[in-house]
Amino acid sequence: MSAVLTVSNLEAGYGDTTVLRDVSLELPEGEVVCLMGRNGAGKTTLLKALMGMLRKTGTVLLRNDNITSWKGHRINAAGMVWVPQESSVFPGLTVREHLVIALGKDDVARGIAQAAELFPMLGERLEQQAQTLSGGERKMLGIAQALVVNPSLVLMDEPTEGVAPVVVQELIPAIEVLTQHAAVMLVEQNIDTALALGNQAYVLEHGVVVESGNVNALHDDGTLARRLAL
Amino acid sequence: MTAAVLPTDSFNVVVLAAVFVLIALGLHFTFGMLNVVNLMHGEFLLIGAYTAFQLQEWTGSVVLGMLLAPLVAAAIGVVLERGILRFLYERPLDSLLATFGLSVIIRQLVQVQYSANPRTVDDPIGGSFVLAGFNIPWWRLVVVVSTVGLVVAVLGLLNRTGFGLLARATVRNPGLAETMGINVGMMRVALFAIGCGLAGLAGALLGPLNTLNPQFGLLFLVNSFLVVILGGQGSLRGLVAAGILLGGSLGILQFNISTVFAQIVVLIIAIVALRMRPIVAGRIGEWRDRRPAVEVKTPSRK
Repeated sequence: MSAVLTVSNLEAGYGDTTVLRDVSLELPEGEVVCLMGRNGAGKTTLLKALMGMLRKTGTVLLRNDNITSWKGHRINAAGMVWVPQESSVFPGLTVREHLVIALGKDDVARGIAQAAELFPMLGERLEQQAQTLSGGERKMLGIAQALVVNPSLVLMDEPTEGVAPVVVQELIPAIEVLTQHAAVMLVEQNIDTALALGNQAYVLEHGVVVESGNVNALHDDGTLARRLAL
Repeated sequence: MTAAVLPTDSFNVVVLAAVFVLIALGLHFTFGMLNVVNLMHGEFLLIGAYTAFQLQEWTGSVVLGMLLAPLVAAAIGVVLERGILRFLYERPLDSLLATFGLSVIIRQLVQVQYSANPRTVDDPIGGSFVLAGFNIPWWRLVVVVSTVGLVVAVLGLLNRTGFGLLARATVRNPGLAETMGINVGMMRVALFAIGCGLAGLAGALLGPLNTLNPQFGLLFLVNSFLVVILGGQGSLRGLVAAGILLGGSLGILQFNISTVFAQIVVLIIAIVALRMRPIVAGRIGEWRDRRPAVEVKTPSRK
């Protein structure tokens, strides 16, 4: 199966501090790859680096395009979107306006209808300012923004972290819908969610990939429990 | 004070309020939205005024100069933003120093080219008319009407267009904007150019009302910042209210006491208003916080 994303010898960090060292990984077309590791392992840093937000060396290929030096807006236009962990929103802008921005030149009416169908709660709050949404609703908005643009690759950072179980039950089916249409790199601490959604897994420690393989196999042989100190 | 003078002075209160709004409109973009402490804002008014003057000298048409003034100022703004300021958005103290240095350079260049001698920009219309007992100079009316038109245009641009939506998103969360497909660099240079262009246009429009010299821009710098800060950085409606409050106060005061004392009183008004603003904003916030609960229950638009 061809790779939608190929990362080779990636080094990245903040300012003069290098966080990721010699990271290489591959994301096959249509698969869900879980990125796992303890807090501070460099998972979010990796997603930010891939999204063009941090300085980096090495090579990042999105299909055949070398996107290593591309900026975020160009990466987004190439079909790679990011669902951030902190559920960032634009203060003062409504839910509808967030979706309009995500859709860009796409069919806005279709996109908003799709988002409202996926998350009816968002459909009821289209005119509400996004910063007044709850944490779970913001996560829904982030996922909806990614889904409506029909991306080829989604970088998703802990979509269920800090969310009430009842909201997680809404988020998981939406993420499953997303995985049917796009390859997903999923940062996930929850082992059950990773097992339910993931195919492959990479485990990071101190910015270095220390394990990789089938997520179920890594779970069954105790690797995940050992590496994540479960 | 004679009865014949009073109506003109009364209209001048309106003119001064409009001038305060006009000079701050460009700063709304460069400082209010982009957060650059733009100490060269006055020099873009200067560039606009001297562009009008130069075209008047070359072609005899000051109107042509006024039309070109915003374009010249915007073009210079683009060069400075791309060349220097785009590296300093996350370094506010450095951008303050850079814009201060650039303001000095621009002023000196103007002085080298045009000397420190006073120049005049012709009043394109001249004369005045009487309306409802008010003696209204034509050009001052043009300044007031232009200001109202520009405020409406800027409000429309930022709140009613796709560009405005992307601009608001960019300034409120540039990191998220970039990853959602907005070219933040291009959006910033566009906003900076609009801000400089508006300052250039303001300078050209105010040229006929003032004597022109290389210090021309400094006249307006402090008042521009006062208006933007008092209005609430990034709030266009607040800017208009602050401009009317400060400009109107100065207009009323300087016809009753000396100009120097009038400026002092206006500064005191600004300080008191700044002190009161959090209280007023808090009250408005409380009022707004009560509204969403009602809005959420409102059926959504289909």
